[in-house]
Amino acid sequence: MGAPMGLLEIRGVVKSFGGLRALQDVTFSVGQGEIRAIIGPNGAGKSTLFNVMTGLFPPDSGEVVFGGERISGVPPHRIIRKGIGRSFQITNIFPRMTVFENVQVALFAHHRSSRDPLGMARRYPSVAAETLDVLRQVDLAEKHELSASILSHGDQKRLEIAISLASRPRLLMLDEPTAGMSRFESRETVELLRGISREQGLTLVFTEHDMDIVFGISEKIVVLQQGAVIADGTPAEIKANPQVRKAYLGEEIQA
Amino acid sequence: MAAFFDVSFLTVQVLSALRQAAFLFLISSGLTLVFGVLNILNFAHGSLYMLGAYFIYALTLHLTGPAGFVIALLAAPLGVALVAVVIEMGLLRRIYIQEEIYQLLLTYALVLIIHDMAKIVFGPEFKSIPKPRAIGGAVTIFGGTVPVYTLVVVVLAPLVALLLWYLLYRTRTGKIVRATSSDREMADALGINMSALFTLVFAFGAMLAGFGGALAGPARTVFPSVGTEVIIECFVVVVIGGLGNLWGALVGSLLIGTLETVGIIVFPEFEMSFIYLLMVVVLILRPWGLFGRPLKVKALAEKNLGMEAQEISPVHFSVRPLVRMIPLVLLLIVPLFAGRYYQYLLTQILIASLMAVAFNLLLGTTGLLSFGQAAFYGAGAYTVGLLATKTGIGSLSSLLLAPLVAMVVAGIIGFFCIRLSGVHFAMLTLAFGQLVFAIIYKWYNFTGGDNGIQGIPVRPLPGGIDIGSNLSMYYFALAAVAVAVEILRRIRSSPFGATLKAIRENNQRAEYLGVNVKLYQWTAFVIAGAFTGLAGGLYALMEKSISPDIILWTKSAEPVLMTIIGGIYSFAGPAVGAVVFIVLNSYLVAWTENWALVLGLILLAMVLMLPGGAVGFVNEKARGAFGKMGWVRRWAFSKSGAS
Amino acid sequence: MALLTLDSVNTYYGRSHILFDVSLAVEKGEVVALLGRNGAGKSTTFRSIIGLTPPMSGEVRFKGEKVNGLRAFRICRRGIGFVPEDRRCFPDLTVRENLEVAVRREKNTVDPWTVERVYALFPRLQEREKNLGSQLSGGEQQMLTIARTLMTNPEMLLLDEPSEGLAPLVVALLADMILQIRKEGVTVLLAEQNLNFCAKVSDRGYVIDKGSVKYEGTMKNLLADDEVKEKYLAV
Repeated sequence: MGAPMGLLEIRGVVKSFGGLRALQDVTFSVGQGEIRAIIGPNGAGKSTLFNVMTGLFPPDSGEVVFGGERISGVPPHRIIRKGIGRSFQITNIFPRMTVFENVQVALFAHHRSSRDPLGMARRYPSVAAETLDVLRQVDLAEKHELSASILSHGDQKRLEIAISLASRPRLLMLDEPTAGMSRFESRETVELLRGISREQGLTLVFTEHDMDIVFGISEKIVVLQQGAVIADGTPAEIKANPQVRKAYLGEEIQA
Repeated sequence: MAAFFDVSFLTVQVLSALRQAAFLFLISSGLTLVFGVLNILNFAHGSLYMLGAYFIYALTLHLTGPAGFVIALLAAPLGVALVAVVIEMGLLRRIYIQEEIYQLLLTYALVLIIHDMAKIVFGPEFKSIPKPRAIGGAVTIFGGTVPVYTLVVVVLAPLVALLLWYLLYRTRTGKIVRATSSDREMADALGINMSALFTLVFAFGAMLAGFGGALAGPARTVFPSVGTEVIIECFVVVVIGGLGNLWGALVGSLLIGTLETVGIIVFPEFEMSFIYLLMVVVLILRPWGLFGRPLKVKALAEKNLGMEAQEISPVHFSVRPLVRMIPLVLLLIVPLFAGRYYQYLLTQILIASLMAVAFNLLLGTTGLLSFGQAAFYGAGAYTVGLLATKTGIGSLSSLLLAPLVAMVVAGIIGFFCIRLSGVHFAMLTLAFGQLVFAIIYKWYNFTGGDNGIQGIPVRPLPGGIDIGSNLSMYYFALAAVAVAVEILRRIRSSPFGATLKAIRENNQRAEYLGVNVKLYQWTAFVIAGAFTGLAGGLYALMEKSISPDIILWTKSAEPVLMTIIGGIYSFAGPAVGAVVFIVLNSYLVAWTENWALVLGLILLAMVLMLPGGAVGFVNEKARGAFGKMGWVRRWAFSKSGAS
Repeated sequence: MALLTLDSVNTYYGRSHILFDVSLAVEKGEVVALLGRNGAGKSTTFRSIIGLTPPMSGEVRFKGEKVNGLRAFRICRRGIGFVPEDRRCFPDLTVRENLEVAVRREKNTVDPWTVERVYALFPRLQEREKNLGSQLSGGEQQMLTIARTLMTNPEMLLLDEPSEGLAPLVVALLADMILQIRKEGVTVLLAEQNLNFCAKVSDRGYVIDKGSVKYEGTMKNLLADDEVKEKYLAV
């Protein structure tokens, strides 16, 4: 137990799909309050890693430890309860519910009031107030009456972040949070995330293909290629790393 | 048992099992092929089989002799294929992008329509089709007497299977069919015309069903409801084998054919239960069937066949409490001025409404299509019936026990079913429902078997309140249904209900809220089961007699139809649907023999034109109209939420 | 006149605007690269061309005729072959069957592609002829999808990230094959993030980022332009 433990530890994670090695011996650690990016070319294993980290499937070997507790192999709904929030690459909201209800239902789950079958959802004033609070954080409070399906893509993405924030996670995992957003929307979202992280000491782990964003906000970056970690360090270190250059630009292909 | 090992006996039985398997294969191979390519589980496939049998009947009236018979045997399936082309191009094509349930319903509407059309054209009676003399007799094999026609069937079916294999694996079109069933979009991008292929495959599948019908017609008899009988068996076959898999259909047919034959000999009592039991066991061990693979979630891109989906918005205005009281007041007053028949009819409507509203907690709120609600309805009805006839327990007590028993049944069935989703979930609930039916149907000593239970005594409530008359029974039912519906309404608008909706909308996201999705689905299933049981209990008290018919799968279809007619995304929708359904049912029966035809046409119109249901439609219009008269809206509706 | 032109194409997925006024042109016989990072809009550009995600506005012209608005299979029959990025060979069909499915008889092309001709180009596929699509390695699957698309006798091939996830050796092999295909007279539009791979096979390149074209020029100029490389392609 010598070295100080990070909030999230990925230790020797291996995952194969029918002979194809999607992740090979992935190890890194994320400290409390850190903003950490996971990057790599398409098919490098980022999504698989995300899915292993949030319990969608267990690793073949290795483990994921969160806050000193082993969480690999634990089903998603329990992992979430331990304080991890997740957003998805493809916008993942409840389309035919209102913006308000989208966040409200997340808060019900968080406060364990989902189990109440007879109380009126509307008669939870504290949850209602909290819902609006969360919506205000992502600047969607004014649209709370709208059906989520008619929001713009950027608003939907932010709504998804709001849903994830509602459960007051200690760690928020975001899979391409700005995918499909306009430049302006991306910037707003990034500012939003950075602000929340700073204010609440929230740890962020995200994947992203927009390098401006990656280098703009992350404190540390881990680079995957073909399922393996090829670099792990500060943005400056990553920029200077020749192996990373090669992975991205395909330079010096050797036979 | 000694007779079992007798060679002649064995020969006869083996051939009989093979014959049964042959018919099953001919029909289910088409069903599974269509599902594989079009992704539609065709309820009307059995009706196409029935058409095949009627066509050969009609043809052999004019074509006699062996040559005539052969021509008829080949022409009948072609006729069915022609009908199928009209169905595909005229109807199915319009709903490929709709949700699964609308596709199921459209084909169900076709079942009703084709059933009555056959009745109108050919009459309701059993028709038998003469076989040419050459294949009409019997031969002796190993000492057993076997009809020649059985041998014909047993030889022809494998030939068809071989032909199918050849077509699918050796011809280019067959390869395209296989390619398309694994990746539609890619096939499209390779220059393959999907629309034409869909028509072709649907027609070909229909032709197989038609051939099955034409071949089975002379061996069995044909009557209008033969289609609905055979389709459930075929569902069992393809679900056991794995939806969309041809080998699965083959193995499934052999299994079911054998099981049915052995069942009749060894346990004639429970022959029917066997096939459902087998299906249940297979699906528990291998949720996607023996040869099946998990269904891919339809990608958005896959819906891109040049059509736009109709967006059904479930966001409605909810009605103010005061406005909500209006129907209740009407329900309290109207019966006082109605005749006894109408009091009875209204009681029926109340019970049906409860069943539909409870069902919609699953479909509309949680997004689960259950096709086995009749099991819980029956559990409730039989609880009341058995308690009332076998013990001296009061009517109220027995009615209160009904939902408890149904809850236990739902708890067990739900435990297995919620592991599946979509069509597979629907099929497993259907199988469990049929299993419950088979048990009650055959368990003479306890349930009275197909006689049901007659003369259920209705005893006064505590305090000596009599509920024997139609009017008092109506008020009793009204009280029970009002309480139950109010509880269901509260569940729907509670945090629990909100969570169920979240599961309906996106169960993966719900899981990532920290919700144990399966547990919530199970709970919803049990609650819906309990209230359905209450409806069943009320039914037993109202009718004072019950029969196993109320557990048949067609009963399970009723709440589905009511809900779709009324609208799945509104709380009142299913109840409105129940009114429409019961009224139609009672009046159409009096007015025309072909009420199924009318119902089918209405259903067809609903699916094609008003996928939001009647209430959804009215809501839509009302929103527009009231938008112009703001004060009406402000008075009648509170602003708020999505359903 | 260019073989393929895109003129101010705008494409949406549902409500999200993905392509912004994308314009590009490919001359007959060229190999042109469409470079950009993940999610820059390369695949959407291809899907817009082939009609799987039709553009909301703008025009796609092939051989001078407008093709946007046609269904995918019609566009394919006009002579554009699409090789998607996730390979997608038909898993339940053998290698040979995968090829046969794509054959079209009605076309009277001079010197059409046949299974034998395709095997000559990809000998590895012949060895694996009887294997199912699902049994192939990543590189073999890539070859098979390219070969399968060739069977439709395209005048133009859209290759979406063919080098993705392949080992360097296989990537080098793939480059040779693309040059070979070009020699056979097929025009190629290539979506890639691997700059060096493109440098080997293509003459000209477009750089796309956030759904709009940011750079257009010869590969030589692009390779020399460190600013563009840094900004849109490298980390």
